[in-house]
Amino acid sequence: MKRLCVVLALLSSGAVASDKRSGVEYVSPETRALQADDFANPGMLWVGGGEALWNEAVGQTKKSCASCHQDAKQTMKGVAARYPVFDEVRKRPIDLQGRINQCRVRRQKAAAFAFESEALLSLSAYIAHQSRGMPVTPPRDERLWSYIENGKELYFRRIGQIDINCASCHDARAGQRLSGNLIPEAHPTGYPIYRLEWQSAGSLQRRMRGCMTGVRAEPYAYGSPEMINLELYLMNRAAGLPIETPAVRP
Amino acid sequence: MAAPRIMVNVPKTAARGEIVEIKTLIAHKMETGHRMGLNGQRIPRDIINRFECTYNGALVFAADLFPAVSANPFIAFTTVAVASGTLKFRWVDDHGKVSTTSAKITVT
Amino acid sequence: MRLCLPLIALLIGGEATAQSLRPYQIEADAITQSLTGKTGVAARGQAIIADRQRGLCLLCHTGAFPEPHMQGNVAPDLREVVGTLSAGQLRLRLVDIRRVNPDSPMPSFYRNDGLTRVGAPWRGKPILAADEIEDVLAYLLTLQERK
Ligand code: HEC
Ligand code: HEC
Ligand code: HEC
Repeated sequence: MKRLCVVLALLSSGAVASDKRSGVEYVSPETRALQADDFANPGMLWVGGGEALWNEAVGQTKKSCASCHQDAKQTMKGVAARYPVFDEVRKRPIDLQGRINQCRVRRQKAAAFAFESEALLSLSAYIAHQSRGMPVTPPRDERLWSYIENGKELYFRRIGQIDINCASCHDARAGQRLSGNLIPEAHPTGYPIYRLEWQSAGSLQRRMRGCMTGVRAEPYAYGSPEMINLELYLMNRAAGLPIETPAVRP
Repeated sequence: MAAPRIMVNVPKTAARGEIVEIKTLIAHKMETGHRMGLNGQRIPRDIINRFECTYNGALVFAADLFPAVSANPFIAFTTVAVASGTLKFRWVDDHGKVSTTSAKITVT
Repeated sequence: MRLCLPLIALLIGGEATAQSLRPYQIEADAITQSLTGKTGVAARGQAIIADRQRGLCLLCHTGAFPEPHMQGNVAPDLREVVGTLSAGQLRLRLVDIRRVNPDSPMPSFYRNDGLTRVGAPWRGKPILAADEIEDVLAYLLTLQERK
């Protein structure tokens, strides 16, 4: 019962489902149009690149992702909508990028992709794209609860020289203008995104690190437990919103 | 990554005389040559400087590109569907690297 | 002689990074004494605010500065927030607004303790130095005169 209360508290602390608005609603009409047109959305270049990698036989096993998972359009549908999940091997949560690298190392016997490498972003984009339009549905797995709770603590922890937490901007001031930028609600539904400022695709972790550096804090390392827990909390907070990968952001 | 990442969108079919819209997207960093690297040295310019589209061998669209064009350039244009055949696309960058792709169109 | 040089370097280093802040006294909701003992220069304060990366004010506030579309609306206009606050009250709000309003998103500009995970380039330093606080304050006071 106590456990249940924790989860209920976690979920009710975010905005009510119907109130949630994706980041796409906070961007200019031009950027929205770019995201909506698959032939103009630069993020689709990564999706296309990911499809090519999916079918490439590599590593000591000379197996492609497709050798085991066949057609991603079927087998990967809905996967990104429920990640991060609890990993039986590591006995802690793993995100989609982590899972891709796990398959790379354990099943293909190839070297892990670096964070933010074109290959990892492309495969992530290709897999997440198969869930486009599907609602975020975090697994009901009690092994995840303490990690979600930690993610929430991090979200509400003041950090950096500016000494401010994520919620001060993304919960309390969404829709207001910080410098020239509209503050969105920080829903992680479009990742990897194509960000105009980066002139490239990038991961949710890169985006969060940007906010951390913005408040003059030492960002958490790529792949660190803190990052995964933040991802977990944000996905739980975004439950019900549709996946948009590849989203376009300013 | 093996193949250059390119996307083109050409309608599969069109009526003769119809104006069709063609959209192209290619992955390229479009380094302007104006930026400084971490070592304080200028990052050398590397942009796609030329794009061409031929339709059954005839040049129907071409563009010279300049350093102000953003990364991963999107180029859209229209042409008149004259006959069934092939559209060929060609991008050339500062290193002389040529990327190509093609698409078929059936004109009825 | 060998020993002397590093010592001097250390002393200069300590001075330049200004690890320790100048002490100040809070009376009611104000710091009545200048942090530097001198009056700030309004024109310099204006320049500090105009440089977003230095003053940060325009991230949240609007004001009489170029590029209004690049100014935030998280907080009211600077010309409004100065209100009828005294110089001492404004000084405390710049130094450590959280003493007055613990939930304010506005950072404490003259504080370097009790912070978490400050990035290396900013570690141990306040956002603004004591003389910069006085300069910004001098500029804010001109906004009141104009009213
Ligand atoms: C000072 C305000 C502020 C704080 C604090 C802040 N952010 Fe942000 N965040 C922004 C703004 C502004 C944007 C949008 C930037 C843009 O559009 O260029 C953004 C964007 C985001 C996005 C992208 C949302 C999308 O639609 O893709 C995520 C995710 C995010 N922030 C997470 C976080 C997390 C996690 C923290 C805490 C570690 C945090 N932010 C702290 C202001 C803030
Ligand atoms: C030798 C077979 C094999 C290869 C090759 C392989 N995988 Fe896997 N993959 C698996 C197995 C087995 C699982 C675990 C299935 C399970 O437990 O649900 C898995 C799980 C996954 C999952 C999680 C699916 C889910 O529902 O949670 C993803 C995503 C994934 N693989 C991506 C990839 C990618 C991308 C590649 C290529 C880089 C790849 N895999 C290569 C065997 C393979
Ligand atoms: C991160 C956002 C943010 C930044 C940066 C910021 N402020 Fe503020 N400021 C606010 C908010 C919000 C208020 C409204 C009162 C509150 O919430 O504390 C405020 C209030 C004030 C007040 C009135 C305080 C009171 O008690 O009535 C003054 C004066 C002020 N700001 C000046 C400045 C100056 C000068 C700067 C730059 C040196 C600055 N602010 C930077 C957000 C900010």
